[in-house]
Amino acid sequence: MSSPDHAVVSTGRLAQSPHNVFQRLGIDGPLTIFGGPIYWSLFALILIAVVLFPLYGSTFAALNFTNFLINAPVALGLALLWGYCGVLSFGQVAFFGIAGYAYGVMAINWGLGLGTLLAAAGALGLTSLVAAAFGYFLFYGRVSSWIIPVLTLVLTLVLETFLGQTAGLEWRIGQAQLGGFNGMTNIPSLTLGSLTFNGYSLPLFYLVVALIAVILIGLRVLANSHFGHVVMAIQEDAERTELLGYDIRRYQLVVFTIAGFLAGLSGVLYATWGNFIQPSSVGLLAATLPVLWVAIGGRRSLSSVLIGTIALSALSDALAVYSGDLAFVVMGALLLFGMMAAPDGIVITILRSLAKLLVRRPL
Amino acid sequence: MSLLALKGVYRSFGGITAADGIDLTLEAGERRCLIGPNGAGKSTVFKLIMGLLRPDSGSISFAGHEITHEQPFRRVQRGLSMKYQTTRIFPSLTLAQNMFIARSRAGDATALASWAIDKLGLGALRERRAGELSYGQQHWLEMCMALGNGPRVVLMDEPTAGMTPEESRSTATFIRELEGRGIAAIVIEHDMGFVRDLDAPTTVLHQGRVFRQGRMAEIEVDPEVQRIYLGEIHD
Amino acid sequence: MAGDLFNLAYQFLVNVSFLMLAAMGLIIVLGMLNIINLAHGEFIMMGAYTATLSVHAGVPFVVAVVLATIVVGMIGAIVELLIVRRFYANKLNALVATFGLSLILSQGTLLLFGPYLRGVSMPLGGFRVGQFSYATYLLVVAGLAFVLIFALWLLFYRTRLGVDMRATMQNPDMARALGVNTSRIYTFSFALGAALAGLTGALYAPTTTIVPLFGTAFIAPAFITVVIGGGANPLIGALASSSLLSVVSTPLSSQYGTFAGRIGLMLAALVIMRFLPDGLSYYLQAALLRRRKARPESSR
Repeated sequence: MSSPDHAVVSTGRLAQSPHNVFQRLGIDGPLTIFGGPIYWSLFALILIAVVLFPLYGSTFAALNFTNFLINAPVALGLALLWGYCGVLSFGQVAFFGIAGYAYGVMAINWGLGLGTLLAAAGALGLTSLVAAAFGYFLFYGRVSSWIIPVLTLVLTLVLETFLGQTAGLEWRIGQAQLGGFNGMTNIPSLTLGSLTFNGYSLPLFYLVVALIAVILIGLRVLANSHFGHVVMAIQEDAERTELLGYDIRRYQLVVFTIAGFLAGLSGVLYATWGNFIQPSSVGLLAATLPVLWVAIGGRRSLSSVLIGTIALSALSDALAVYSGDLAFVVMGALLLFGMMAAPDGIVITILRSLAKLLVRRPL
Repeated sequence: MSLLALKGVYRSFGGITAADGIDLTLEAGERRCLIGPNGAGKSTVFKLIMGLLRPDSGSISFAGHEITHEQPFRRVQRGLSMKYQTTRIFPSLTLAQNMFIARSRAGDATALASWAIDKLGLGALRERRAGELSYGQQHWLEMCMALGNGPRVVLMDEPTAGMTPEESRSTATFIRELEGRGIAAIVIEHDMGFVRDLDAPTTVLHQGRVFRQGRMAEIEVDPEVQRIYLGEIHD
Repeated sequence: MAGDLFNLAYQFLVNVSFLMLAAMGLIIVLGMLNIINLAHGEFIMMGAYTATLSVHAGVPFVVAVVLATIVVGMIGAIVELLIVRRFYANKLNALVATFGLSLILSQGTLLLFGPYLRGVSMPLGGFRVGQFSYATYLLVVAGLAFVLIFALWLLFYRTRLGVDMRATMQNPDMARALGVNTSRIYTFSFALGAALAGLTGALYAPTTTIVPLFGTAFIAPAFITVVIGGGANPLIGALASSSLLSVVSTPLSSQYGTFAGRIGLMLAALVIMRFLPDGLSYYLQAALLRRRKARPESSR
């Protein structure tokens, strides 16, 4: 029996001919769960609503919202790492902190204007390097899969311990005091010409929104590419994928570095937003947050993670007004019961049901 | 010089010696059957060739290169390939996606993989999720994936386990045609009818050592071989 | 010179026993259930809290330690029955769930007991050797750690329960087929791991402040010890790993401070992981088996 269609395997693009423009662009595909015209219409609508928000809402609310949005890059990076590559890292906050502190040190020493831009680039570069180095040890050592979460958590704890004991005046790099438990203060915000990206004015709000849109689309394209397929295959069956001729260590390292870079991006944004960074951003409690956002959002879907991150950040912000410790107990409970009741993620389960109702097509 | 050569390969696990000084050679385009009672070490040999296990001593060479200590993916890139005993396809992805992933390097493997898919009748199923295929079809998909990179040697670990007789016959025809395409194959099998169908030089393993080599017709009637199988050769 | 040597030896002993005690419960749970309990630090903390509150209520310290061990052990059993056993199929989800549990426990303790509890003073005083003075109590704890290893060895290799546990660890299906109640073994193992954590917390309560994040100081070293040791053989793993790591960290921490010791631990762990990814206990056990195979007359 032969089939008339010989285009089963092609030279590097997806096998079947793309159904629609979204798939041709690469932003939709078999490895991103939600997509299609409805998804992108909603995406466009929400984007417009958010961009116009300062006009009909209050600037204050928008600035507050920025704080939640800053958490998105680190969460999306972990979603890529955990949801697609199957690697659970408790250490994303370590890269958040390294970038935040690095930006602080460089920005304080190099001053305003171009200095802050160099500082941002330098901080991101340094963080990516550290992530790649750490990732090298993790993946080229071919350690068992449970060791990686543990070692990344250890990295975070060691880093927090280190930063916590830098209170003395001797702990300075150039003009920048590391500041021990109180952290580094007076970090200059990123400035570009006449624009200052800080927590008191709107440019940062727009910058973060733009970055999130770019990251989301970019990660979708990556997920649906050949690279993304291999990464997914590694999660499903690492040995099998290796026996298909792939150096899985290299793929895992690349994804880990990307996730580290994104975590670092959140760190730089945080430092420019608040003009400070402290060890508690790197601590045990902080380390639970990205895992929380991704686990409850739904690690297999970038969009669910985005929604979950913003919702949970807002929730803990609201709870913290009432009692900061209660916020963490609630988060812990959400995580525990989320894992028991909806292990794929709460947001993604809700979205899937909604999609089934709307579209009447199995996802 | 042989395409694939194992010399004096030893491998033990704790107290068990799975490979006890194995010498094996395979020429380009050759078809070979590997049989032996359970626990003889057949799957171990495959794992050693692919690099999933490292030998305690001995050497493995492929196309003139020493590959004894190479990583598995490097061996696959050189032209070795394996089809697992249990299907290890990616069940949540479609057949087409599985094949898409199965090609890790560029080249003219497209023609080979397309031919394989057609030959085994899977062409119409490329949009189906691999997990929804029938058992036999999943094994065939796995075989096609093993050919995805245009290998020079394919190792097949019990390719017809659980297949219907017609499926087994199609599989035998398919494997016979590989020789015509210059692809060498080593096939581990328990189904003696299938082994006879393949009509290839046969190596018998017993307790980690090469026990007999020859044509199936001679081996079948060899009393020593029958004894080590303790009556497993039927009909 | 002799004084400096004694100093180093004392520090080494204190470090080894610290790592062993902190990691022992974790390793047993890993070996038996194949999961890492991220709430381990909180179990340690609950041991410290139980002991401290008992002492404040008038209970003698030794009794308080025993009480803490039992209480936390029981809590562990409950946790296993209600939560952990749902995750045997998915180890990564188990990690996340225990992570959530650790948040609830530590922050819940903060809500219930406040940020700080009045401490317990270290018993047994001190002694001098050369120019340094030492706490006797830490030596006692070190001794207890080795007694504990011996007691666990007795449990694993000289009791019926221990045989059942080892069987379940190596081949649960087979053990079940032979009539071992594996689910009770799992509950007991997790409870044992929790009890050991509680014991550790109680023993170290007199050495530091009693705060809800008490366990944090223990978990990084404990995790590293476990990761290096591996789950293949908990006793060998704990001993070998804590010794090896202390050899690295003791000179570092005595020269450059605790943080340097920690960094040294982590770097040593990364390097060892690179070359011995299956854990020390796996390789040591394999070596032991090879030795035993060469001497056929020995058997257990």
